[in-house]
Amino acid sequence: MVMPEDIKKWIEQGLEEARVEIEGDGRHFNAVIACPAFEGKNSVQQHQLVYGVLGDKMKSEIHALSMRTLTPAEWDSERG
Amino acid sequence: MNDVQQRIRQTVDSDDVVLFMKGSPDFPQCGFSGRAVQVLRSCNVKFSSFDVLADEDVRQGIKEFSNWPTIPQLYVKGEFIGGSDIILDMYEKGELQKKLGA
Repeated sequence: MVMPEDIKKWIEQGLEEARVEIEGDGRHFNAVIACPAFEGKNSVQQHQLVYGVLGDKMKSEIHALSMRTLTPAEWDSERG
Repeated sequence: MNDVQQRIRQTVDSDDVVLFMKGSPDFPQCGFSGRAVQVLRSCNVKFSSFDVLADEDVRQGIKEFSNWPTIPQLYVKGEFIGGSDIILDMYEKGELQKKLGA
């Protein structure tokens, strides 16, 4: 079974300097992801970057991944 | 473009607002699809829906169509808007209503 930590690791390996907060039950996951590569991209493009890193895992192991993507600056301002 | 991609293009262009989802608006078969329907209904906008569970070719083909591996997918005037997270986020910011002209 996929654990939230697995997805966190995959994203961090694929996206340089990514910060990931994630929770989930093995099928459904909720993630907040920040990454410098998100700068200047819209939400669709940001999500596509994450989907690209997860690749075929989105078709098999991960049933549902709900995510919010942030630039590092947005992440910092949210977390004060 | 192969047949499936062409068929998806035609469906996307068949109405101003098109939602690819699992199930129907009245009987969504997935929580994320249901959430997308709720948001569109809150915007009081007329939309067409396509049930990907009834068409395996489209269910797979739609993932390549917009380089987006999940369902639901919302299209407005032929443009891919996003999946359920983005739809909800835009709604909360008032951006979706603007996009829909609602």
